[in-house]
Amino acid sequence: MSEWQPKILAILCNWCSYAGADLAGVSRMQYPPNIRVVRVPCSGRVDPLFIMKSLQSGFDGVLVSGCHPGDCHYISGNYVARRKFAVLKPLLEFIGIEPNRVQFSWISAGEGERFATVVTKITEDVRKLGPSTRLVKKL
Amino acid sequence: MNVVNDLRKTIKKLLAEKKIDLFVGWEKGSLPMAATPIFITNEDEADRIVFDITCGNNLSVYFTKDKKQFADKKVGIAVKGCDARSVVLNILEKQIDRANVVMVGVPCHGVLDKKKVLAKTDGREVLELIDGGDTVTLKGNGYELSSDRSEILSSSCLSCIYPDAQEYDIFVGEPRGEVPNENRLKEIKEFEAMSTSEKWASTRAEYEKCIRCYACRNVCPSCYCNVCFVDQNDPAWIGNTCDFTDSMVFHIIRNLHVAGRCVECGACERACPMDINLLLLNRKVAMEVKDRFGDVAGLDINGKPAMVDFREDEKQDFIMG
Amino acid sequence: MKNKKNSVLVLGAGIAGIQASLDLAEMGVEVHLVEDTPTIGGRMPQLDKTFPTNDCSMCILAPKMSECVRHPLITLHIMSSLKDISGTPGNFICSVIERAKYVDPVKCVSCGLCEEKCPVKIEDEFDVGLRKTKAISRYFLQSIPSEYTINKDHCLYLTKGVCKLCSKVCPTGAINYEDTDKEIELNVGAVILATGIDPFDPIGFGQFGYHRYKNVVTSLEFERMLSASGPFGGHVERASDGLPPKRLAFIQCVGSRDISIDRNYCSSACCMFAIKQSIIAKEHNKELEATIFYMDIRAFGKDFDKYYDKAENWYGVQFKRSKISEIKELPDGSLDLKYTYENGDIQYETFDMVVLSIGLQPRAGSRGLSEDLDIRLNRFEFCRTDTFHPLETSREGVFVCGAMSGPKDIPESVISASGAVANAVKYLELERYDPSVGSEDIKEKDVTGDRPRIGVFVCHCGINIAGVVDVKDVAEFASHLENVEHSEDVMYACSTDCLETIKQRIEEHDLNRVVVAACTPRTHEPLFRDTISEAGLNPYLFEMANIRDQCSWAHMNEPEMATGKSRDLVEMGVSKARGLVPLLRLPINIDPEALVIGGGLSGMTSALAIGDAGHDVYLIEREDVLGGNMRDIFFNFDGTDPQQFLAETIEKVENHDRIRVLPGSTIEEITGFVGNFRTAFKDSTGKREELTHGAVIVATGGNEHETEEYLYGSSSRVVTQKEFERMLHEEEFPPGKLKEVVMVQCVGSREEGRMYCSRVCCSKAVKNALELRKRKSRVNIYFAYRDIRTYGFAEEYYSELRDRGALFFRYTLENKPEVEKIRPDDPDSRIRVTVFDPVLEKDVVIDADLLVLATAIDAPEENLELAKMLKVPLNSDGLFLEAHVKLRPVDFATEGIFVCGLAHGPKDMSESIAQAKAAGSRALTFLKKKSILAEGTICEVRTDRCSGCGYCEEVCAYTAIEVDPEEGVAVVNDALCKGCGACVSTCRCGALDLRGFTNGQLFSVFDSLEIEASEGIR
Repeated sequence: MSEWQPKILAILCNWCSYAGADLAGVSRMQYPPNIRVVRVPCSGRVDPLFIMKSLQSGFDGVLVSGCHPGDCHYISGNYVARRKFAVLKPLLEFIGIEPNRVQFSWISAGEGERFATVVTKITEDVRKLGPSTRLVKKL
Repeated sequence: MNVVNDLRKTIKKLLAEKKIDLFVGWEKGSLPMAATPIFITNEDEADRIVFDITCGNNLSVYFTKDKKQFADKKVGIAVKGCDARSVVLNILEKQIDRANVVMVGVPCHGVLDKKKVLAKTDGREVLELIDGGDTVTLKGNGYELSSDRSEILSSSCLSCIYPDAQEYDIFVGEPRGEVPNENRLKEIKEFEAMSTSEKWASTRAEYEKCIRCYACRNVCPSCYCNVCFVDQNDPAWIGNTCDFTDSMVFHIIRNLHVAGRCVECGACERACPMDINLLLLNRKVAMEVKDRFGDVAGLDINGKPAMVDFREDEKQDFIMG
Repeated sequence: MKNKKNSVLVLGAGIAGIQASLDLAEMGVEVHLVEDTPTIGGRMPQLDKTFPTNDCSMCILAPKMSECVRHPLITLHIMSSLKDISGTPGNFICSVIERAKYVDPVKCVSCGLCEEKCPVKIEDEFDVGLRKTKAISRYFLQSIPSEYTINKDHCLYLTKGVCKLCSKVCPTGAINYEDTDKEIELNVGAVILATGIDPFDPIGFGQFGYHRYKNVVTSLEFERMLSASGPFGGHVERASDGLPPKRLAFIQCVGSRDISIDRNYCSSACCMFAIKQSIIAKEHNKELEATIFYMDIRAFGKDFDKYYDKAENWYGVQFKRSKISEIKELPDGSLDLKYTYENGDIQYETFDMVVLSIGLQPRAGSRGLSEDLDIRLNRFEFCRTDTFHPLETSREGVFVCGAMSGPKDIPESVISASGAVANAVKYLELERYDPSVGSEDIKEKDVTGDRPRIGVFVCHCGINIAGVVDVKDVAEFASHLENVEHSEDVMYACSTDCLETIKQRIEEHDLNRVVVAACTPRTHEPLFRDTISEAGLNPYLFEMANIRDQCSWAHMNEPEMATGKSRDLVEMGVSKARGLVPLLRLPINIDPEALVIGGGLSGMTSALAIGDAGHDVYLIEREDVLGGNMRDIFFNFDGTDPQQFLAETIEKVENHDRIRVLPGSTIEEITGFVGNFRTAFKDSTGKREELTHGAVIVATGGNEHETEEYLYGSSSRVVTQKEFERMLHEEEFPPGKLKEVVMVQCVGSREEGRMYCSRVCCSKAVKNALELRKRKSRVNIYFAYRDIRTYGFAEEYYSELRDRGALFFRYTLENKPEVEKIRPDDPDSRIRVTVFDPVLEKDVVIDADLLVLATAIDAPEENLELAKMLKVPLNSDGLFLEAHVKLRPVDFATEGIFVCGLAHGPKDMSESIAQAKAAGSRALTFLKKKSILAEGTICEVRTDRCSGCGYCEEVCAYTAIEVDPEEGVAVVNDALCKGCGACVSTCRCGALDLRGFTNGQLFSVFDSLEIEASEGIR
């Protein structure tokens, strides 16, 4: 492999975003092969530590995606998640982590195309940033 | 007006009338720069109570760090603005029963940061400290100098807008509400103005100093988990090493754990032996919590803590378009 | 009735049919779900979003669809129709035609090769002709069942005897051109009809230029355009030039409220539908300007008016009350609208695109179906029902739900479906059953303490995966991973023979964890879990890696990258699997009794539904008598007699051997959870008693708003509609002549303090006005109104009233009617009403002999106390807030508690009956079980770490976790936890964890990939 390829972790909620990823696949939408998906029941399950651990283990970017506000299968899990991200994102930017390394989105079960677009965007964003170095734990 | 006398009288009365079983306040410490906590059950002891620039300790920690100590007791507690917010927060978090606590507000004009004082005296021991309001006189072996009060105050006090308790049962003197402070966000805004790389360089330089002594956590009134996440294994949350990324992640997560709960008392920063600018991140998070959710930790005893509340139409500018 | 059958046939698998089937199946009833198209789902999958929450339609429907297809008691008969019902209620013989599918659903693995190769392009019905599909296809991408079918009218081989391409490429030999239609007979106890509606076809509706003008589309076409999964990927563009429209017009009531085409009914949903579409369109494109041309905005449902207000004042949607008289196409494809305001002003305005808000009409073939099944239709060819039997057809044992009996939105369809089930179960013989019985028959291997022995199976999915991903390489790679004892590639992991292989390998290699790298766990995980369970492994010792949807299909042109990614996904799956542990689904006992709170029409109806199904019911009522608000209702449009029905109902309830009526009683405390509630109440003598029960139904009703407006209370000539109805019934009018009667609508509704429509008042006022006319034919009737909201079939009576000379003056909030006594000091003085007439553009003065006020329906203040006791939420209007406004309209988020009637929101008697039956039915889905199984993936507490801060309690939407006040630590209620994990991620102390998605398991996944910072991806 000559060109450096970013590796991005995507944590997706089961009911909307993961289903959106499935729809993107079923619809044969093509997007960059740089993401690795982890399925969780709900974006509300996502502990900010998950994101920090992923950055430490060397992922160049992290995407967390849940149901749109109002769509949560668990009624309000994404609202709980949103407050966490609303604090984490500015904090990471504040300490000097590149803003595009960690991104959040809402993708519904019907938004296969949006999934492809979001993945393409974060991949390109992270590619521009280059390899992650700031929080990678080198053993 | 003599705050200390009034405070002593108040506490005597509370103890005499059995309104409280125990009072937590400050007394003159063995070192001139730090008052120490005092626990009194007898009104005779009340004359030992002091309140001045050296009373930095946030006494609400005694409710959470050792829950059994105050169990089933009616406790009176002296509270500065930040201390009162801690008490309120702990009430919201079921650590304190409102019915069992008598909050005695005292008017706060800031507490000193020992490290700043020592910087003033070039590290020379301070044997006497005279609080003269706007200026503070420091005396030691062979020297006497005076300092602007603002130069030796804890950074938490410099950005404080709630010096006095907003929730209290008794207030000694006249409580002030929100006090405007134009410098409140200055430091944050300046930091934000830097480039990402500059920010990182600065953050890294600060946090590389961390020796993982956990003094910040140990003095924090909002840190009262039975086992802190850093000390947990099965699973291990983060590496327990002085690897920089482990330290940094510890501080990031600690910041998030006190998001919407940090009352900006500054105890962590004053306790840090490595002189890390810890409060800057806490204050940044508090600013986001205020801006986004309209919430200030420990201000509203009838509210919900910010991180367990939500509004459907909240600002979500950080969500990809 | 002998030989009662424990089965029901449901015709139509839209949301109503699905809901009815699921409710029945959950009660232990065998269901035959018969559907005309090749998929279940009905109309909902065609919708992008749903009002008034803008929920994604597919997101909320898909889980119900998969639940339906997976339920062991539901048998699907797709592409099938019901021809005949014979026999007697309780023992019907149904004759069903299953049309030929030409694809064997057992062999078909939905790989899609056939569709790719099929040369015949045809119009896609699902996308209303906006794109093409093939003669062999799936109805839509997320169809359930997912197997392909051949359209015999277009297949080249079936029509012309040539081609057979699909058969050649099919890797499993699933194509069967010899397939034939089959007629089968189903023996069932009852039948539920849910065939739904068709959208009105505006073709031939000349004035709007549909099909002549390219940029005139129907609302359904527009919905597909808005849909992200639609033909244009959610990018609305004009057919004429592909440009996004900037100026959008919606024309309401196309095919509704139109006598000229014999559609003198209101389609009830189109106003909200248009408002939703205008909001969504504006969200897609902020620059877009949307205008809705309408007669009345009928935002009569719960929280609809707030949505309307948001559209107008937040999104800036223009609402123009006017009539469109002409549309002309301009050379650039834009459209010139000529419209007339109510004052006669004529305006012209140009739009880029026009959306026709088409109405709902009976399904094509309704007439034929009604003849085949011997049921009666109403004059618009909807299924005929009456006020007090809204879910019953004219034939005993045959019930109706959804929009088949009249226009309905989604929640009303869901309500009617659950309601119809309550009717159907009366014809069945149901025993309580125990879902946990049978599950312990399978002997589970104890793997605790064993080192993980993982088996990996990498699926080719024909060429779906193997055509891009090097599956052999992935399998080889997996074999070297730690703890992997066995790894192989398989052709179709989900095929019957491969499932057998997996079981064998578990045996041979003593595997205790299984990873399948194939497609999506969302559809296939249950199948594989069942398989390993059959091999003696706990079903939760399973993990999937989705290398089809996320690798081969998404990176078709980058096979190396797709293979590398597949390796990673398998490695992550193996890491997760390593930490998996067996999970148990513990049974929770269910008490068979129900508590119904409120003895009005709704409460009594619910009590009867549950009592008739053989369960004890406690019916608690605060007042000393039953009947509630219905005691003040005397007339119905359809001539049925409310007081007679009420008397009969009360008699049934009071004499029912299963119902214990507790009048004059107040509830003091409710504790417990689903299946195990305990309620303490004080009876009329002040004696305290405790009840235990498995479910709770909240039917506490509503109150008439007490107004101080319009001289009410200070004049004998000002009465409320409720009082007026009694006056009509008793024929006791104010003394003197009764010549001029003014009715004022929206008194207290739709304004500050009560930002909702009270829904029933327009119809009630029209009804009472007609009754008045019957008694005093020479009286003049005037209406002061804001919008007339006689939705559904009430529209006909509204036009009748207009025809009979009643005058209507529309007022606005800024310009309410003014009233004064002609003789100020005389309480009996006539009332001078001044109302601005927007048609004549001047004030009209009426000296009224009687002023009748349509006062709002209020939520009782006591709701708050009850809500606290039950720990269920209220909305901002004080009405009980259901779990989901669309698909769970009678459930609370907290299981075992249900709501119906006015406690949920304003509604008429028919709607209250339907919802009360629905609540009864939903309660029976629990009560019919001796126990329910808790979820496996639920939250657990490590009490030694818990500091009792209560944050978990605050974020839980299901009241499933609480801090024990004695112990000061969190306790999970297994019965209520849904396993979302919001509490876990909120717990700072690490005291909580989510089984199946533990912190440890997820951490190992994040850590699983060795990434060299300099190298990036492998």
